[in-house]
Amino acid sequence: MKHVIIGAGVAGITAAKTIKELDRNAEVVVIGDELFLPYKRYLLSEFLCNSIRRKELFFFPMSMLKELGIRLRNGTWVKAIDPSKKEIKLFHNEVVHYDKLLIATGGSPGLGLVLQPYKKYIHFYYSLYDTLVLKEKLPEIRKCVVFGDGVSCLDLICMLRNLGKQVTYITKGERATFALDEYNFEGELHEFLEEKGIEIITADQIVSIEESDHGYKVESIQQTMLTADIVFAWDYYKPNISCIEGSAIEKKLGILVNVKLETSQKDIYAAGDCVEIYHPGIKDYWINFGLPNALEQGKIAGKNMLGQHEEYKIQEAIVFNLMGQSLKARWWK
Amino acid sequence: MKYSEITIRFCGIAGDGIVASGKILAGACAKIGLHVMVNNIYSAEIRGLGKSSATIRFSTSKLYSMGDGLDLLVGMVSKESIIDLRDVKERGNVIYDTSTIGDVVEEDSLVSHITPEIQGHGLPITKLANEASGTNQGKNLVAIGAICYFYSLPPEMFVDQIKGLFTRKGERVVEINIKAFRLGYEYFKENYPLNNQFEIDKRSKPRKLTSGNDAIAKGAIDCGLKFFAGYPITPATKIMEIAAKELPKLGGWTLQMEDEIAAIGAVLGAWFAGKRAMTATSGPGLSLMSEMINLSVMAEIPTVIVNVQRGGPSTGLPTKVEQGDLNIALYGGAGDSPRVVMAPTDTEECYSGIQLAFDIAEKYQTPVIFLSDLFLGQRTETVTIKENIDRDRCTRKKPTSEQLKNFLRYQITDDGVSPLIVPGEPGAVYSTTGLEHSAKGNPNYESDVHSMMTAKRFRKFDSMVADLPTADILGDETAEIGIAGWGSTIGSILEGMEIAKKQGVKTKLIKSIMIHPQHEDSFRKFFDSCKKIIIPEMNYQGQYAALLKSRYGIKPIEIHIPAVNPVSPLKIAQKIMETNSELSQ
Ligand SMILES: Cc1cc2nc3c(=O)[nH]c(=O)nc-3n(C[C@H](O)[C@H](O)[C@H](O)COP(=O)(O)OP(=O)(O)OC[C@H]3O[C@@H](n4cnc5c(N)ncnc54)[C@H](O)[C@@H]3O)c2cc1C
Repeated sequence: MKHVIIGAGVAGITAAKTIKELDRNAEVVVIGDELFLPYKRYLLSEFLCNSIRRKELFFFPMSMLKELGIRLRNGTWVKAIDPSKKEIKLFHNEVVHYDKLLIATGGSPGLGLVLQPYKKYIHFYYSLYDTLVLKEKLPEIRKCVVFGDGVSCLDLICMLRNLGKQVTYITKGERATFALDEYNFEGELHEFLEEKGIEIITADQIVSIEESDHGYKVESIQQTMLTADIVFAWDYYKPNISCIEGSAIEKKLGILVNVKLETSQKDIYAAGDCVEIYHPGIKDYWINFGLPNALEQGKIAGKNMLGQHEEYKIQEAIVFNLMGQSLKARWWK
Repeated sequence: MKYSEITIRFCGIAGDGIVASGKILAGACAKIGLHVMVNNIYSAEIRGLGKSSATIRFSTSKLYSMGDGLDLLVGMVSKESIIDLRDVKERGNVIYDTSTIGDVVEEDSLVSHITPEIQGHGLPITKLANEASGTNQGKNLVAIGAICYFYSLPPEMFVDQIKGLFTRKGERVVEINIKAFRLGYEYFKENYPLNNQFEIDKRSKPRKLTSGNDAIAKGAIDCGLKFFAGYPITPATKIMEIAAKELPKLGGWTLQMEDEIAAIGAVLGAWFAGKRAMTATSGPGLSLMSEMINLSVMAEIPTVIVNVQRGGPSTGLPTKVEQGDLNIALYGGAGDSPRVVMAPTDTEECYSGIQLAFDIAEKYQTPVIFLSDLFLGQRTETVTIKENIDRDRCTRKKPTSEQLKNFLRYQITDDGVSPLIVPGEPGAVYSTTGLEHSAKGNPNYESDVHSMMTAKRFRKFDSMVADLPTADILGDETAEIGIAGWGSTIGSILEGMEIAKKQGVKTKLIKSIMIHPQHEDSFRKFFDSCKKIIIPEMNYQGQYAALLKSRYGIKPIEIHIPAVNPVSPLKIAQKIMETNSELSQ
């Protein structure tokens, strides 16, 4: 039985490991577009600050993958799925057959119509690759402009400030909140950040970015003109589901799954940040975001791919790691 | 990552511009002042969609071999490149085409064989080439553009190279190729911004690229080659091509004959008429020439035969390297048939060595077999050749006026060398034959005459030693492990020794362009100073080892590699390490 997993993130690799631990003979192929072994995104900022070494980022070493007999195909993008033929098509037109398929493609930051034309001037902070590029540039960076939301944005601005960079944070909101439910900071987060020396511009957003002799000129809706050595921006964070286009797999914002993590198509499962699960409380589908949830879903998907019938229990919030601090957040609520 | 040395291989099929890729990349790197070595491998079939590859190694320091492993494999075609993946180093890279048309099954997909130890980088090669040219033309330049960015090499050098290579094909071809190059460069810049730094010394001066075959042809012409006759054969044909182009400009001749027997016959004829002449062939051709070589021995007509060795026997492996022709070169003649055998170890020696071959052949009236090989002959590398141009050079032993009066073509002398004239010289009769003969050159079958003449023909080999270069001893004189090698394997040995040195193991090497005869004393002294002797070579039998064993009574550790690719330095280093641990036990 050939188990193919798309996405070598936490959900994907956990599913692969679960399958191999339960059935040594199962063939497991994990196909991910990133160039590295599966790693922990929440540690990226610590890696950037040199608090941890590169190898500490990885879930497990290559030797363990080999021991488990998991075939990892990294640097490989899946572009389409054909459930009728039980095949997936890769970026370079290779066709791979599967018996059971797991989609664990996660989510990623994206740009809206206004920022789209400036994409080449914008730096994302999402992957290890982004982090390595950033690490190279860091010594020359003094001033940073950050526009975005969510806990990874908070992670980013704190990390930049900790590294002694001048940080201007632009938010559409009235205050800097980062969709956090609870946190352990003393006092309000907005003021806390300002005290740390982060400049916060509220109720505003970037409308244009221009390259200048020494970096970038950034203009906001309120016509604030800023200069920066680097600009980070994203409008939203959404599931990576381009590969299911035209496949008849049901979706809304993410891939729709039942509590067994089955999609609308036979033998195709989905787990992690790319899925939406029905939440009986809010009576709608929602994305159960975050590392612990992806991990749990990966485990359950793996078991169910082997024919078990385990159900996933929805978690209300995620625990977020911020430079050693523990925060609780609820994204896409 | 920072690099000071990189090895890249382009893999493709006919029409992918593989050889041109090697040329452009090597040319640009040489211009930057880097040391470069290029090895092309192609299928033996002349037409059709055979696979070909070009491997380019460039470095800030001198290169002696193609090294071990690839830092980057560019798979222009999918299925055919899979086998080359095994050469990619751990943490090496692969660039593959993401825009091929039609479905690829998993087994045939290069990408499906890439393991996590290697990084795969997709590049829409076909798509970008089509964007640049409207056809598939320029695929190789798309890949080169990506490489240029990937290793932060200066793009302007590549643009210069493209102009240099394509200007004669017209402005549009130049434009298309530059555009393809830029598209590849930009694609990588956008999609893989994290590039590597190749450390370039800005003060380095541009270097020239030459191949062993080029150097042989040039060396021969510079020392007075007037006549070349040959029959085309891979991997020696290039020598004839150069001769055909260059000799007429200097009043010389190149003749393509109907086969190798005719070719050597014509060469003997030219020498007989007093002109420096040469032929170039490979194993099968050398076999055919054997009886004519015997004629050269018996009639004491000088001749120079270049044999660019390839895999054998028979038609064998026409496009792969092997050092399997030593035995036929040394012993491949009926009767007691002595001949000089030389084997250049690098491109510089191809130039200087062939000049020595001519001087010896002419002075000692003997055939000289110059054993190059496919790897040495076809690889291009940056070398500094010390030119020595003297096209009127003549090392012939001429008769005194006294000797001329009663000319004895095969006069018995102390050094075995009889005075030589050109037939038709007034007052002298030049009589020659392939039959055993008297000093006058008349057929004679008496046993004492035969013994005397055979001894004379062999005596020349003792006398010539004084004219020959002594062996080079490289490495650490105090080392207990000694290595003896020949031909192009020397490059891999030198790098293998360097690897061992880094592990703290001392070695020394004895190498000589002269296989037969040799300065035997220096070899004896060297072997006496070694506790262990290693002899690596690219053939199954250990042909050089057999020669050295019988000559010096040594008991070496032999490494026999019936090769299809140049010897891996790592393999030699491993043997050195093994030998070292045996010694320390
Ligand atoms: C900077 C940062 C800090 C974070 N910190 C925390 C934290 O402290 N706590 C917490 O709970 N969560 C945190 N998160 C979120 C957490 O990392 C994610 O929720 C989690 O990684 C989701 O796991 P996943 O397996 O679903 O997706 P991912 O880990 O995103 O893995 C999906 C993989 O699939 C690949 N992929 C996508 N599409 C394709 C395709 N078509 N073909 C091949 N491969 C594809 C992606 O490139 C990716 O490698 C953080 C996220 C970021 C970016």
